[in-house]
Amino acid sequence: MKRIPLQGKYIQGILLFLLLVFAFAFPRIMADKPYWLYVALQSFFWAMMAASWALLAGYAGQFSFAHVAFMGIAAYTSGIAGERLGWSPVSGIILGTVMAGFVGFLVGYLCLRLRSTYLALFTIAFSEIVRLIINAEHQLTGGPMGLYMEPLLETTSYVPTYYIMLAALIVTLLSMYAIANSRFGLFFRAIREDEEAAAAMGVHVVRYKIAAFVITAMIAGTAGALDHHIIGFIAPNELMIPRMSLIIAMAVIGGTESLISASIGAILIHFLMEWLQAIPVSEAMMAKLQANAATVQQFGLTLGDGVIQTNAWRMAFFGLMLMLTLRFWRNGLIQPLLEKIGRQGIAEETVAKRKLPQEENENTEVQP
Amino acid sequence: MVNITSQYLLNLLLNGLLIGLIYGLMALGLTLIFSVLGIVSFAHGEFYMIGGYVVYYLLQAFADLEPMLAILAAGAVTFIIGVIFEILFLQPMGKGDIERPGEYAILLTFGLAFFLQHIMIGIVGPFPTKVSRFYDFIEMDAGWLRMNKATVWFFDMPFSSSRLIATGIAVFLTALMIWFMSKTWTGRGLQAVSQDRQAASVVGINPLRMNTLAFGLGTMLAGMSGAALVTVFAWVPWIGMAASGKAFVIIVLGGMGSMPGALLGGVVLGIVESLGAGLYPDPSKALAYKDAFGLLVFALVLLIKPTGFFGRKL
Amino acid sequence: MKLEIKNVSKSFGGMQALNGVSITIDKPEIVGLIGPNGAGKTTLTNVIDGVHNPTRGEVWLNDERIDTFPPYQIARRGLGRTFQVTRAFRRMTVLENMMVPAMAINPTVSKKEVLEKSWDILRFLTVEHLANEYGRGLSGGQQKLLELARLLMLDPDFVILDEPFAGVHPKLQETIYGYIDKVRQEGKAIILISHDMDSIFTLSERLIVLNFGEIIADGHPDQVKEDPAVIEAYLGADEEE
Repeated sequence: MKRIPLQGKYIQGILLFLLLVFAFAFPRIMADKPYWLYVALQSFFWAMMAASWALLAGYAGQFSFAHVAFMGIAAYTSGIAGERLGWSPVSGIILGTVMAGFVGFLVGYLCLRLRSTYLALFTIAFSEIVRLIINAEHQLTGGPMGLYMEPLLETTSYVPTYYIMLAALIVTLLSMYAIANSRFGLFFRAIREDEEAAAAMGVHVVRYKIAAFVITAMIAGTAGALDHHIIGFIAPNELMIPRMSLIIAMAVIGGTESLISASIGAILIHFLMEWLQAIPVSEAMMAKLQANAATVQQFGLTLGDGVIQTNAWRMAFFGLMLMLTLRFWRNGLIQPLLEKIGRQGIAEETVAKRKLPQEENENTEVQP
Repeated sequence: MVNITSQYLLNLLLNGLLIGLIYGLMALGLTLIFSVLGIVSFAHGEFYMIGGYVVYYLLQAFADLEPMLAILAAGAVTFIIGVIFEILFLQPMGKGDIERPGEYAILLTFGLAFFLQHIMIGIVGPFPTKVSRFYDFIEMDAGWLRMNKATVWFFDMPFSSSRLIATGIAVFLTALMIWFMSKTWTGRGLQAVSQDRQAASVVGINPLRMNTLAFGLGTMLAGMSGAALVTVFAWVPWIGMAASGKAFVIIVLGGMGSMPGALLGGVVLGIVESLGAGLYPDPSKALAYKDAFGLLVFALVLLIKPTGFFGRKL
Repeated sequence: MKLEIKNVSKSFGGMQALNGVSITIDKPEIVGLIGPNGAGKTTLTNVIDGVHNPTRGEVWLNDERIDTFPPYQIARRGLGRTFQVTRAFRRMTVLENMMVPAMAINPTVSKKEVLEKSWDILRFLTVEHLANEYGRGLSGGQQKLLELARLLMLDPDFVILDEPFAGVHPKLQETIYGYIDKVRQEGKAIILISHDMDSIFTLSERLIVLNFGEIIADGHPDQVKEDPAVIEAYLGADEEE
């Protein structure tokens, strides 16, 4: 996350604006392919999850694996409130968010003295315990079969829900950006860099660590509850660790230290995953594959309607991408790209800086 | 509600002990990796899983293959995969080329777990496989000891022969490891590096080489535990996750970096799980909660005494 | 301004790191703290700073008991410290490093004020050209200066410098001398921990010697230098250096 010179910021701003316009126009463009609309709104969910995890892990340095658990707790709370108490989805989502915040507080508090590996282990254990409880208490949660969630809107078109998710994503990103640029963000990063030194500098480490957990848990919770009211269903297998791994892959490949990069990374990966799930093949190729159907199946692939379904292989691919990105592009793939765009005008900026050190530098801001 | 007789309890305890010894072997591998490389491998369970599948496929392809050879093969495969991964991804860390190595190791091994799991789902499919027991026991009846092909009754307490064989293998391998670590030059080299890298390198031990060896050995032990247990449990590609979970619980209980701790922790976990599942009041939920017990103990230990029985600070 | 260390003892497991240490500092002065390795100097700093709680005894700052306070609360009450190994925030710029303590101790301060103050301090230490450099991009010496600059943003009454001269080249050392001077002139008290006897004797107005966790001398440097107990335990420091 680098200081961006003024000119570069304009270019980035334009780029983001264009992206927004595209996002708003997307339903029109895809009017005849509602499937991709659905994929898009789901990708917004993942973007919120990845970005909020990036805030917790990339900014505040808390590599927690409980993120899906927070999401699940909120969604299940909302679902159960709907099923057992007749609450409306909106009230359910609010309740779910509060619940997620509360649990986030608890986890944050318990994790105060735990450093990296121990934190990871504890949050994994926590996540698994939550999932097992949900699985076991089937009278309350529907058990492994899952829980019905009342749809947010009674509509057959994905267009309104698309806009709702897009709005949620934008609001979430703006809020997180505001937090990251505030004293919260500063203290988060100080804690991430060196907790003891931060404390020696007067930072209320306890308060801000817990705040990081609560804020990001609530965002994950809202995203989860909202999304599952749109899907109409939730099951405990969504809280499994591989889901968490996917979010991590998205954030890392996007760039953990940049909320926008993490979001874009998540959206791109989600689309890529969906596209990879059903790769269209030519008729000739299809005929060949069908002739060898048994072998094809042995390799874990399935033949669909003019497509190959890659199933688990696309996941394996992303696992590999995660490892390679970590090894060779530690800052992610999207983030350096955005930074490069922002680097335009750096030569002029240096010259200007020599003349008016004070004013120029007061204008630089932290990149979201 | 089952009648809780003392015999039932003893049965639970002994079963827990049997399984615990095998868990201990797996955890031994993880502890070895931690003590030499300083990282917790989040992909450890996946090597356990791969080990099981190697045995499955070998025995499928060669029906008359001596099971012990299959187990050895499983060890070889997991050793090789471990070494390759270490060289490609972990060596740079050992050389100091990686920023924030702790974070790197966690995310990387997580990614490896994810990768291996899904590769196996692709190869094997999501359906459980079972390998039939390695050996048939002879039929006999001596009052206090009865046997048939699949079960042994010790004072009328039943034990599955698969479990007994698996435990036997685990005990043998553990003894072998202990011998290796304390009596061979290489083993002592590993110990030296685990205690003090700089001092070890000053006396001519190559810490980077030791890293690779330790990681490979660690994954091999995991693989062979899986190979031993593949006749006991139904095998699925995500069985590695539960195995990892147990391994973590054990090394935290026993203390990270402590080998005796890993063995002791394994036994404790095995017993806790067995008792927990056997005694939980609601039998319909007991099985679902079996894994939760270990996790709960784990979470508590992390909060209260993270260094466990014998461990050093992380 | 008053810092009172009252009969503080600290043991870790079986090891006694500090034993009945009492020090009072109630005016601006430069207090040198010396002693052999393992004497307890850093432990004492950690106890004062709240990283450890004393096993026995109390620490009072401006008539408020602080030995049970966590470090951030002590920082807010006007006691700052540096670490033996420099701990600048690596992935933050120099300015951001400076902003952290300023905003931590004052919830309502404006960014403008903080930046102004930061620039002043950076200019004084002649490192204002590094303002937007990242901590990890600085040389070792520059990181040291950053730590010193950052400390001043706390506006502390008391400053503990732990080995500020370790591995520092002469020009940098001069800058640090100037820093210590200025801080002293602004009415603060400085506890200076160092093995660099030249610096200690040049700067200190008062000298405390710690040995095996106990104070064996506390007075004017010239006196302490001649103290037989000190010579036996620690000096000929002149020969050592």
